[in-house]
Amino acid sequence: MDDKEAYSQRLKAAVHYTVGRLCQNAVADCEMEVSRQAIAAIAETTFRQCDIFAKELEAFARHAKRHTVTTDDVKLLARKSTALQKSEELALNNQELKKRKKNATKRKSKDMENEADEGARGTEN
Amino acid sequence: MDSTELEIVFKKETVSKVLTMFFKDEKTKVSSDAVNLMTEMLKIFAVEATRRSMKQAENEDCDVVDLEHVEKILPELLLDF
Repeated sequence: MDDKEAYSQRLKAAVHYTVGRLCQNAVADCEMEVSRQAIAAIAETTFRQCDIFAKELEAFARHAKRHTVTTDDVKLLARKSTALQKSEELALNNQELKKRKKNATKRKSKDMENEADEGARGTEN
Repeated sequence: MDSTELEIVFKKETVSKVLTMFFKDEKTKVSSDAVNLMTEMLKIFAVEATRRSMKQAENEDCDVVDLEHVEKILPELLLDF
């Protein structure tokens, strides 16, 4: 049980680190400052929100008779605000664009390899 | 091509581990696309919390965002998510 506690603390610390950086970044844009307790509170809230999100995602997946949480489950999670839904859709579209670009470059390099092979064979003949 | 600003994001591995830790069923897994979306969502959550706290501090004529500002925006934030 202690191991799990330590594991949880480590993850919480990791979340705290990134949340702290995000806060400092956001606050610096408006030339304000943020206290350490405020960052700690936001980090703790974010961590606890992960718990809520995780349980909801698991419930959605189980409802769909799946064991793996998919993007559809995450989209359902964002149902409470339209702005959130739109930004999730944007993130999903960006992902798909990146995937297509990756596949396109893979195909290009494969095509180039094939061309090189054919060229080599041509010169041999 | 180089962006002058480095975007601060949650590490995908951290998000994945945190979510899996909170699942009640051991068999439940998360697809990598879902992890990416959750990373985005958590970033939005943290930034929204910060921005609302900043707004609250501004309304109270404070230069420093303090715990009390966070406490005041917390209920609405949790209801909105």
